Amino acid sequence: MIRLVDLAVGAGGFRLEDVSLDVPPGAHAVVLGPTGAGKTTLLEAVAGHLPLLRGRVELGGIDATRLPPERRGVGFVYQAYHLFPHLSVRANIAYGLPADGDGRRAARVAELALALGITPLLERGVAGLSGGEQQRVALARALAPSPRVLLLDEPFAAVDPATRGALRRELRALHERERFTILHVTHDFAEARRLADTALVLMEGRVVQQGTPAEVLARPATAAVAAFVRGDAELRAAGEEVG
Amino acid sequence: MPLPSGRFRVTAALLAALLVLFVAGPLLRLLLAASPASLAAAATDAELRASIGLTLLTATGATLLALLVGAPLAWLLARHRFRGRALVQALVELPAVVPHPVAGIALLLFLGRRSAVGGALAEAGLEIVGHPAGIVAAMLFVSVPILVSGAQESFAAVDPRLERVARSLGDSPSRAFRRVTLPLAGRGLLAAALLAWARSVSEFGAIVVLTYRPPVASVLIYDRFTTDGLAGAVPAAVVLLGLALLVLVALRVVQRGPRA
Repeated sequence: MIRLVDLAVGAGGFRLEDVSLDVPPGAHAVVLGPTGAGKTTLLEAVAGHLPLLRGRVELGGIDATRLPPERRGVGFVYQAYHLFPHLSVRANIAYGLPADGDGRRAARVAELALALGITPLLERGVAGLSGGEQQRVALARALAPSPRVLLLDEPFAAVDPATRGALRRELRALHERERFTILHVTHDFAEARRLADTALVLMEGRVVQQGTPAEVLARPATAAVAAFVRGDAELRAAGEEVG
Repeated sequence: MPLPSGRFRVTAALLAALLVLFVAGPLLRLLLAASPASLAAAATDAELRASIGLTLLTATGATLLALLVGAPLAWLLARHRFRGRALVQALVELPAVVPHPVAGIALLLFLGRRSAVGGALAEAGLEIVGHPAGIVAAMLFVSVPILVSGAQESFAAVDPRLERVARSLGDSPSRAFRRVTLPLAGRGLLAAALLAWARSVSEFGAIVVLTYRPPVASVLIYDRFTTDGLAGAVPAAVVLLGLALLVLVALRVVQRGPRA
């Protein structure tokens, strides 16, 4: 469960104001909005990487407002993967797992690698991996410690359409199996419709609409949201024509 | 990027050749000036060996101290924006542009027995001026800008989001630093430390003001030059040059890293 109450965050000259959100346990919420709307700032504030000016963050029923990132039980996947370049694929995935003597750590790595189809890559370094492979490793790494909450920052934006589709299916399968709560930043409405139960539209640091992805798409709350929805549809149509 | 073609490339190559000759010429001439017999004598010269030993020891001490205090500062400068940051940055860079005898005089005034700091240290049993600690202080003063600048660059090159990922995966700030930042910045830190060490070994101006005796290698070479002329100074100078070449090779190895 994720509950954000009147969140205000300052990052450089940018301010995120009055963000409130309720995501039930095991649900998948997307944060939509144009570039510069404050989507990544919101995720980093939830993860504890940015200090709050005001408001409260509850994660899994616990008030996490003053907890440091390492005690929030949150997995974070960035668009640009951010794998540890000095570690192997296996060591990347195992990074957040405590060392043990009974093989549970190795078993968890093997289980996630199998689910994401990266078992043959486990002993490799991360340097030569494709974008899709890197994102699978990043996803496995974030999920390895079984977080209550998974934060995704445009995780599929940098991969080709075929890989994007496969990654979505793998994420959905893992989500159905492990039932973590997802807060997922994207500006892709198609992705939002396929994956999410609820959507939040951010513009210029403020929430302008909340609802199901279908509602936001069918009944944009403001002219700006309508223009954003229309722009996304036109972009996709253009992409389909070119592709 | 390919070399530019035609007259421009020829001109650039000629100017580059002049520079290479200007740097390599004197060093080569120095190497040729030392006879095998004088080098053999230098190898058994007790005073030279003691001064080289002292130089290596004090330069290593200064570098370790520079790492101890300079690396945290470099990390702060690379990772945080704070009030007075520009002033701190400028102050740390200042020793690099101050003439070294001036640095020596400033250190003498600050650490001399009659100063508050020097007096307190002497009371505590740590004599600076005229002692090896003075050599370390002078070396630290002149080499710390090199270390901080190199270390700052190395820390800045590590994407802070890697540290954020590590924190979200359960690491405390110090554990994320140890497991992610340090391994990724390590090669740059080592290169900065090697450069700072080499700078310490080559220092003369500040040391000669602070601790003339016992002499480090650069002071001994100057001493011999003024008393015995070139014949007295060259063998010791060749030994010090060899040491500098070793550091240069080590630096290149560190910078190149392991072969893929």
